[in-house]
Amino acid sequence: MRLRRLMVPLLAFALIAGACGDDDDGDEGTQSEDTGGGGGDDSGRVVLLTAMEPEEVSAVQSIFDDMINADADYEAEVEAAGNFEEQLQIRAEGGTLDLAAVPQPGAVRQLAADGSIVALEDLGFDIAELEEMFGEYFLSLGEYEGKHYGVPTNINLKSMVWYPKDDFDAAGYEVPDTWDDLIALSDKIVADGSNPWCIGFESEGATGWPATDWMEDLVLRTAGVDTYDQWVNHEIPFDDPAIKEAAERFGEILFTDEYVLGGAAATADLAFGDAPGPLFQDPPGCYLHRQASFINSFFGNFDEDAEAGTDYDWFPLPPIDQEGTLFAGEFTVVGSNRPEVKDFLDQFIGQEVQCAMGGTEASSRISPNIEVGPDCYANDILADASVVLTDALENDTGRFDASDMMPPEVGSGTFWTGMIDYVRGGPDSLDGVLAAIEASWPAG
Amino acid sequence: MTNGSEQQTTATVPANAEAGRALKLLGAVVVLVGLPLLVQWAFDFTKDRDANRFAIVGVAIVLGVLGVFALFWVMDQIVDRLPRGWRETARPYVFVGPALVVLSVFLIYPVVNTLLLSFKDRRGDSWVGLDNFEFVFTDPSMLRSLRNTSLWIVVVPALALVIGLVFATLADRLQRGESVAKSVIFLPMAISFVGAAVTFRLIYNYRPEGFGSNVGVMNAVWQGLGNDPVPWLTRQPWNNFLLMVIMVWMQTGFAMVVLSSAIKSIPEEIIEAARIDGATEWQVFRHITIPSILPTITVVTTYMVINAMKVFDIVFVMGSPENNGTEVVAERMLTWFFVRNNQGYGAAVAVVLFLAVIPVMIANVRRFRAEEAIR
Repeated sequence: MRLRRLMVPLLAFALIAGACGDDDDGDEGTQSEDTGGGGGDDSGRVVLLTAMEPEEVSAVQSIFDDMINADADYEAEVEAAGNFEEQLQIRAEGGTLDLAAVPQPGAVRQLAADGSIVALEDLGFDIAELEEMFGEYFLSLGEYEGKHYGVPTNINLKSMVWYPKDDFDAAGYEVPDTWDDLIALSDKIVADGSNPWCIGFESEGATGWPATDWMEDLVLRTAGVDTYDQWVNHEIPFDDPAIKEAAERFGEILFTDEYVLGGAAATADLAFGDAPGPLFQDPPGCYLHRQASFINSFFGNFDEDAEAGTDYDWFPLPPIDQEGTLFAGEFTVVGSNRPEVKDFLDQFIGQEVQCAMGGTEASSRISPNIEVGPDCYANDILADASVVLTDALENDTGRFDASDMMPPEVGSGTFWTGMIDYVRGGPDSLDGVLAAIEASWPAG
Repeated sequence: MTNGSEQQTTATVPANAEAGRALKLLGAVVVLVGLPLLVQWAFDFTKDRDANRFAIVGVAIVLGVLGVFALFWVMDQIVDRLPRGWRETARPYVFVGPALVVLSVFLIYPVVNTLLLSFKDRRGDSWVGLDNFEFVFTDPSMLRSLRNTSLWIVVVPALALVIGLVFATLADRLQRGESVAKSVIFLPMAISFVGAAVTFRLIYNYRPEGFGSNVGVMNAVWQGLGNDPVPWLTRQPWNNFLLMVIMVWMQTGFAMVVLSSAIKSIPEEIIEAARIDGATEWQVFRHITIPSILPTITVVTTYMVINAMKVFDIVFVMGSPENNGTEVVAERMLTWFFVRNNQGYGAAVAVVLFLAVIPVMIANVRRFRAEEAIR
């Protein structure tokens, strides 16, 4: 009886101690698992965390299955997380991250600063070889304190001008090769009684970002890559004459009478996804629309049967004083230094797998690997874009989206709102707008 | 496994005392070793990435419920073993203890941490004194957000309350269909703020001339009256009120249901007596209905004021708040904390918001106490 009375609480205590004790070594457990393979990869799993769409995931997974898993003693797996940023942070801090495809260079450097990802040098990569593959500039974006942390694994083109090919050709217009030709074409379209440009900047809380892309494209073309880098790193002020010149070029498109369908002020209220619509009207409400490659997937909303190459096509935004190509992309970072992870990454960035990924219809990825030729792409638009991008990476004329690399107060704040103030305020507002963005740049 | 041996133990006890005792001991050992193992297994199971999600949820619930039960039970047992004089002194603290711990981890710690962050720089590295608060009260966008939030906490509760009250009063007199009418008004409550905001984005939708027909209801009506389409969400200051309409639409139902039940609980005799004395309907409403439901009105108002202070999703979905002048305090907090990664600014805004809620809470608690005293 006495024994029993004593035993009951003792027993329960053991239960709770067990529960609490387990909770503690739960954290240790994940760490110790890391050496043996993170998050249940004792079976030799290598997980690539991404923010891909479901159709894309299954396409990429089947390529991994065919080309990597078939011969490897581990299993490579693509995982798409709806809450990608959150998952990345949790796994990086918890030590259960194998690999992740991160779209922001700033995030790569932050992870490196936190010490939660492994440098490519420490994994045994030859940086010179990688620079050869991806171009020095793109690779350098993932650099932190002298070491490289991210391998480019996707790239998308932003400097694209879309046009309704059938109507464009029928009207006798020609694709411009220079900025002057572009302006002459715009004038011609106005003279023919139409409006050349369709522009829309509204994007809920992120309203203004399409305008920053325009600006970046124009800074690249008027001032060149070196000034662009100085601008991004705030080595020149935001209201520097070079930046002002680019903004004035932008104003030339925005504020010239009849250039923009609906007028410049309305661009701020027009959803960016609705903007290309008039390209597909009959006759077209406008003939030119500058937007990154993704906009392609919106065209079905306006004309279900719109076909690339016949109904619409694109040309690169022409150079002004300089050649320039604006792009964005993704970096694959490594969270766990294991031989199978290294082996997977080696194959993943290699020419064969990258080429195969371009061959699937479900994927709109373009390989930043210079060795991957245009023949790899199932889609002509992507193939053409890849030629422009490869050229830019090789010749160092390509630059990454500036607003993604500026401090968030500017890049996701005053740069967006400032551009909207500019399109609403007209050419005279420019000085004030640029000065306000400059003033918002955080100190230090 | 453990359960089995335990049952076996109890079953054999009456048969043979000696064997029973031995089995009991054995069972105790098995339980002592087995239970922690079982718990360990359960914990591991909840972390298993490949396991069935529902099974994980089930195991986690069982683990949580039994765990809390066991915790209280054990502590009670321990208290029972204390010296007699201490027992009843210790017991309340032991029981309230876990709740206090949880409360401090999830409520007090974040508050203290936010306070500390509000005096630090954007990465939370070094102290910057009152700089962040200077920003809160000088930045033009922040000042607009303070102005707008003040408008929200006045306009939204006032409108929702008045409409809700009118509807509750009138619905109360409906011969039939009261529940249907009330359900219709109440329905928007079931929609999330973001969902409602996206719906209203379509209602306020605007396309400039040349970009196809305007699909927004507002512009359809407006054009039907022979006007040009208007970008409603960028027309200051009206856009602020158009956003408030969304919250009023969602909250009126709540006000109506609560007020309606308060109205129904007014004793019929009082109203009848008033009517016999020759009071008009308005007099009945003004001098009997309103005073009788005043406590309910206060509670509903407090609830809606606090809700209006917290609003951010509606504003966040409806275009650029900074360009449109529709900033609100909670939206600024989120933008600075998460979009622009400035923890100092974000925390300072949070502290201001936190301080602003306190008077409302105090007023509400006082009112509640006063009512308790009357009863």
